[in-house]
Amino acid sequence: MSKLFWEDIRVPEVREYGRTTVTREDILRFARAYDPQPFHVDEAFARDHFYGGLIASGWHTAAICMRMMVDHMLNGAASMGSPGVERLRWRRPVRPGDTLRVRQETLSKRRSASRRDLGLVKNRFQLLNQNDEVAMEMESTGLFAVREPERDE
Amino acid sequence: MNAPAAVYFEDIALERPVEYGSIPVSAEAIKAFARDYDPQPFHLDEDAARRTHFAGLAASGWHTCAMMMRLLVDNCFSRVAGLGSPGFDDLRWLRPVRPGDELHVRARCTDKAPSRSRADRGRVRMFVEVLNQRDEVVMSVALMAIIARRHPDTAR
Repeated sequence: MSKLFWEDIRVPEVREYGRTTVTREDILRFARAYDPQPFHVDEAFARDHFYGGLIASGWHTAAICMRMMVDHMLNGAASMGSPGVERLRWRRPVRPGDTLRVRQETLSKRRSASRRDLGLVKNRFQLLNQNDEVAMEMESTGLFAVREPERDE
Repeated sequence: MNAPAAVYFEDIALERPVEYGSIPVSAEAIKAFARDYDPQPFHLDEDAARRTHFAGLAASGWHTCAMMMRLLVDNCFSRVAGLGSPGFDDLRWLRPVRPGDELHVRARCTDKAPSRSRADRGRVRMFVEVLNQRDEVVMSVALMAIIARRHPDTAR
């Protein structure tokens, strides 16, 4: 399969992809391992808490988003990782039974100043639930291999 | 875990960094997280990872975030009257996290402000660094937290 290189990434572009239904068991399993706060692991507590029921850890939500990004975008691309995330906001709780998808808006791209073989791509991602509400949004930069490093942009 | 919270918004002190926790990172944990959430070759398999820019198995950046959260919950948030988090800014993955690494956290509160709309809470901004056993910073992030006030400001 031919991979998507930095040159192939179109700007601006909007894509939607993925479909993940979050189960109660997923929420509990992630939270017990990584975020054992009572509103993520204790259903009785969560019912009486201000969230009004069990909700996913925000880090779990981010991980679910990553899985869809890998399956539908990164594994088909010459991805070289990411230096980080400029901004992430958890907008709405994710609850058992929610079905999530990703909306990706490619904002800009540029060649790396220090490495000819690398390019940077800035994206805004929104994680939408089955009611088209934004559960999470983030802006981040991805690194992609340049197909022809010797060629100027 | 459900012991009464001891630390409220009023109690948060600024600028004093605190280090805590210790979490060992195994190859198995790296691969298990990656299979569920980040199945890229450099997180899944030693041989495949050697042939990538990571030059060896490395933890998913989101796995590092999750381990950071576990350290924060166990050593800090479990005692705080926390009401969740709106998000974070400036997350940086600075160095790969490898099998055999042992991670801990250094955190300081950089900023706090009472909520403008809700008298019973305030917002705190924390700068959190994740360090390995050589005290190299592998990740840093400016994390926000909403914390309950012990004495809601009824004048508002």
